[in-house]
Amino acid sequence: MDVNFRKIDIDVYDEDILHETELYDSDPRDPSQVLSDARQKQVAVRTALARSDIVGALSSILDSPPYGPGVDEAKDLTLQTLLTILNTTKAAEIPGVVKALSQDEQDTLMKYLYKGMAMPGWGDISGSVLLGWHEKLTEIAGTGCIVRVMTDRRLV
Amino acid sequence: MAPEIYNLAQSPVSSHAFSPDHSQVAVSLNTNDVQIFSKQGTEWVSTDTLSEHDKLITSIDWASSSNRIVTASQDRNAYVWQQTADADGKIVWKPTLVLLRINRAATHVRWSPKEDKFAVASGARAIAVCSFDPENNWWVSKLLKKPIRSTVLAIDWHPNNVLLAAGSADMKARVLSAYIKEVDERPSPTIWGSKLPFNTICGEFTSPSGGWVHTVGFSPSGDALAFASHDSSVSIVYPGSPVINIKLPTLPFVTLTWTTENSLVAAGHDCQPVVFSGAQDGWQVVGSLDDTSAAKSPVGSKSGYGGSPTVGRLNAGAFATFRDADSRGQSSIAGSGSGDTKLLTVHQNTITSVRPYEIHGGQVTKVSTSGVDGNLVIWNTDEVMTSGIASLTSRLGSSQIR
Repeated sequence: MDVNFRKIDIDVYDEDILHETELYDSDPRDPSQVLSDARQKQVAVRTALARSDIVGALSSILDSPPYGPGVDEAKDLTLQTLLTILNTTKAAEIPGVVKALSQDEQDTLMKYLYKGMAMPGWGDISGSVLLGWHEKLTEIAGTGCIVRVMTDRRLV
Repeated sequence: MAPEIYNLAQSPVSSHAFSPDHSQVAVSLNTNDVQIFSKQGTEWVSTDTLSEHDKLITSIDWASSSNRIVTASQDRNAYVWQQTADADGKIVWKPTLVLLRINRAATHVRWSPKEDKFAVASGARAIAVCSFDPENNWWVSKLLKKPIRSTVLAIDWHPNNVLLAAGSADMKARVLSAYIKEVDERPSPTIWGSKLPFNTICGEFTSPSGGWVHTVGFSPSGDALAFASHDSSVSIVYPGSPVINIKLPTLPFVTLTWTTENSLVAAGHDCQPVVFSGAQDGWQVVGSLDDTSAAKSPVGSKSGYGGSPTVGRLNAGAFATFRDADSRGQSSIAGSGSGDTKLLTVHQNTITSVRPYEIHGGQVTKVSTSGVDGNLVIWNTDEVMTSGIASLTSRLGSSQIR
C-alpha cells in the first residue's frame, strides 16, 4: 500500500493556518539590542558574583531573557552566564536563593534548567548541579512551575 | 457537613448536569450515550439512556425552567432532548436535530440564561449560537468565527442572555456578542460594551504563560470574568483594569464556577476543588473544599522514605521504588498494598466539571463535581479548609505523589 500520502503536509493547503508566532507576543526588542543586553548582563552578573550576591546575579540574568527566533547568540550567552552562577552556588545556599526569587524569575530559572538538561555536554553543563537546583526549585515553586515551562512558547 | 460522595461508574464522567429538582442527573460516562441516573434513597440508579450520538459525548446541559437537555458530541452534532409522550402514552426523551454546520467535534454546550438559545463550542474554530426555528421544527445556528484561531474549549453566558465568554486553545479568553435579532431584545449597555451586534468582540485576554484556556466563567452579575488555563493559572478580568493573574504551584485547573461576586471554585488535575476569593484590587487562594489533612480511609504505612510531605518526595518515592525493585526484587505495589495508590483527596482522579448545585439568596451554597474516577460529589461551599496558602501548597504537592 502506498503510504506516502501520510507525509503530505496538509496544513499548507489550509489558508487559515495558525502560525507559531501568533501564539505568543514576540520580543519588542531588536535582535542586536537583545544581544547587547545579554552582554551587559554578563558583566553585571560577574560584578554581583564578585560580591557573592547570588540572588542579585540570578535576578539580573533572569530578567527579560532572550526568546523567540533570531537571537541564538544572546540565548547561548545567557545560558552560559547562568551556568556560571548555578555552578558556583553551594548546595546548601540553593533553597534560600530560590525563595528570594520572584515567581516569574522562578519560572524562567526552570526554563533554563530544562534547556540545560536537554543539551548534555554543552559548555559547563553539569547534570548533577542542574538536578540539585531542579529538586529545590520544585519543592518551593511546585509542579505548576514545571507545567508553565511546558506550556510557555516563549522558549529561552 | 461532609461532602456527599456517590460513585456512578468505574469509567470517567466526562460531563454532568442535574435536573431542575436535583432528583436526576444526566451524565456522559465517556461513551456515545447519555445516562440519566435517578436518586433512590442514597443511591443513584441508572433509569434512562439517551442514544442518538455516534461519537463520544463531550458536554451536557439541562435547562432548569424549560426542562430540556442539550448534548454536544465529537460526532459534530448537538441534540435537544425533550420529554414527550410516545405512541403508547409513555413519557420518553425525544431528540431534535440541531443544524450546527461545523466540521470538527463539538466540545462544550450551555443554555443561555433565558433558555431560548444555546451555544456550542467546537474544534472548527467556531462557536455555534443556536436558536429554534418553529417552521421547520429544528434548531438553526449562527457561527461566531472571528477572531477565533483554534479549538474553543469552554463557553459561558453573561446573565444578559447576549454576551458569551469563550476560552480557546489559541491561549485566549474572549468576550463576544451572541445577539440574535429574531430572539433577543436590544440589550441594555453593559460594562463590556454598549452596541452589541452579533460577533462584536468586547474583550480578548491572553493567559500569562502560554496555556490554552480550559474554562471561562462570568461572575453572577456578569461584570467580571474568570478563566483558568493550562499554565496552572487563574485569571480574573475586570473590564478597564489590568488582568489579575494568579500563578499556582499546583497542576492546572480545567473547570471553574463562581459562587459569589467575590469568590469562585476551581478544580482540575489536582483532584480537589480550590476556593479563590477577592475583589477588583486582588485575588488569592483561600483554601480547599477537600480536607486532605487526613486520609479518608486507612492508608498503608509507607516503607522507608517517609520524609517531608513536599514535592521533593516525588524523587525520593520513585527512587525508593526502583531501589526496592532492583535490590530486593520488590515491587512497591505488591509490597505495600493498595493504600499506596490512594489519594488523600475525595476525587481519585482529575475533576472534569464543577457546577453550581444549590443557590440561596444569590449565593451558591453547594457545588457539584464529577471526575475521571467516576465519582459525583456535592460540596458545601462554606466549608473551606483554610490553614494558610503555604500549607495548602504543600498538601497539594503531597496529594499528587501518593
